[in-house]
Amino acid sequence: MREMVQAELMKVRTRWLPYVLVIIALIGVLLQVWLGGYVTYVNAQYSEDQRTALQLMALPWSLPSLLESGQYWGSILIGVLTASFIATDFNWGTVRQSLIRGHTRGEYLVSKLLALLLLATVGLAVALTAGILSSVLATAAAGAPVTLHVAGGPSVPQLGAMILRAGYGVLPYALLAFAISVVTRSTAAGTTAVVLYVFIESAVLGIFGQLGGTWSDLRVLFLGHNVSAVLAANRIAGADSFPSLAFRPQPSPGDLPNAMTGALVVALYCLAFALISYRAFARRDIRATEGG
Amino acid sequence: MQVAPERDATTAGRDGDVVLRTRGLSKRFGPRLAVDGLDLGVRRGRVYGFLGPNGSGKTTTIGMIFGLVRPDAGEVSLFGADALEPARILRRVGAVLEGPSYLPHLSARDNLRVFGLLSGGMPPARLDAVLELVGLTARAGDKVRTYSLGMKQRLAVAGALLHDPELLILDEPTNGLDPAGMREFRDLIRELPRAGKTVFVSSHLLGEVEQMCDDVGILKAGRLLTQGPVEQLLAAAGVLELRVTDADAAVHVLDALPWAGAVTRDGDRLTVEAPPERAADVSRALAERGIYLRELRAQENRLEDVFLHVTGEAADA
Repeated sequence: MREMVQAELMKVRTRWLPYVLVIIALIGVLLQVWLGGYVTYVNAQYSEDQRTALQLMALPWSLPSLLESGQYWGSILIGVLTASFIATDFNWGTVRQSLIRGHTRGEYLVSKLLALLLLATVGLAVALTAGILSSVLATAAAGAPVTLHVAGGPSVPQLGAMILRAGYGVLPYALLAFAISVVTRSTAAGTTAVVLYVFIESAVLGIFGQLGGTWSDLRVLFLGHNVSAVLAANRIAGADSFPSLAFRPQPSPGDLPNAMTGALVVALYCLAFALISYRAFARRDIRATEGG
Repeated sequence: MQVAPERDATTAGRDGDVVLRTRGLSKRFGPRLAVDGLDLGVRRGRVYGFLGPNGSGKTTTIGMIFGLVRPDAGEVSLFGADALEPARILRRVGAVLEGPSYLPHLSARDNLRVFGLLSGGMPPARLDAVLELVGLTARAGDKVRTYSLGMKQRLAVAGALLHDPELLILDEPTNGLDPAGMREFRDLIRELPRAGKTVFVSSHLLGEVEQMCDDVGILKAGRLLTQGPVEQLLAAAGVLELRVTDADAAVHVLDALPWAGAVTRDGDRLTVEAPPERAADVSRALAERGIYLRELRAQENRLEDVFLHVTGEAADA
């Protein structure tokens, strides 16, 4: 399996897409910290605006904000990478190179997933590191104190847990793109599916939340609502809301399932997407004339 | 024409000699039966040509051998074991598949590194050796997207040979090769059995198969029409050409011979489908009826004649 994962990583090593996606993520991080944070902070005329800008910019408040934005936009970027990573293997016929060399279809999918996990981890880690460094620099530039030690602020182990929660929130969207691109063998289909899913789900969750009653209760079935439940555990000092670049409703913690329930529902979604991928791939005839 | 039976010298013999066998292999795509009850046997150390017109089911058969295409019925065994359980058996097999199967943004060397990793890892020296073998050393660092079709095909062959497989399965391997490349390729294939390897090569190029194969199987519309050693098929498909004193009477005599095939007449010149070793029997049968030979010779057969006859396309050719 190690060699298979290495082979998958070699396949993308000289492709431009992963690097472009990392650059987009870095631009997003810089926009959030410097434009949304620093520039707003130094130009704010009201203390409320200054406080909001500080939460986007200054540690430790910027961390949940960066992770929320990172999970949301990271899901889309990783979805695009996933769709391309899978579909090009079909289009280039290289999926057959694994299978004719004695690997099972299950092994092939697992190696793809592990390689994607590594790529996604590296990409998101680069973006997060850039975000933290930017936070430190922007906070210092604004003359605010640079520290993690605030009331209700996270310890270092808690910081690790926050990052893992955000990463866990990316996983189901990556698996959605994985499943769609395995089924359709199309980068466009996988990318479109994950983008539409994220945006439409955000809109539907907002509408259901506004409608209240049964509609509001139905949100517990949605992936995004449960991801929000997991990420709610990242909020510092139980803040009801905080600024981020994620275009989705930010319900108060009391309006969300608890983090464990959310994590369980997310796991079920992940399992469903993985099963769809496996079932579709395991039953398929792979012919050269069908792009793979 | 006498045609070798389906289970003949190719499938006969000890099972240990057969490295690739299919039994009753069938596949249907919608209403079309692509492969119909295929029984193949490929013996160790031989070059087996899998001949058939385009669309006859060759690629589908190869897909089923590798588990890329799921058979509707039948089974495939490699080295005496089920080809799919365990899949590890495929590690002893190399393949050139129809259609592209490379990473265009990587160099040939990096493509081989990837394929090597998929085969469990290959030392750099092995990569160099196969690049040298297929004549790609000088361009090994160039991106494959800049290669000609023939160079890509050489890369495919290098990928198939990379892990030093015991059995090579090649689907139309000379597609895109220029005449010199095709000749080099044939020479390479002819060398492989001397290293103990077995080759199964599908092609629609009759001359190519005749020149490089020991055994041949002919497929049409998914059915294996015949298989056996090339020499045996050519001999069985012989044609005798003769001139006689009484052509009308001779036609009746030849038509009545149970082992003879179709008889054709052009003036006093007759042809009869019969192997060369039957020449004496033809002479005797005619002489017994008072018909005497002016000339009798065996036409030199080519695999093309066998193929056209067996596939029933002679009339169209």
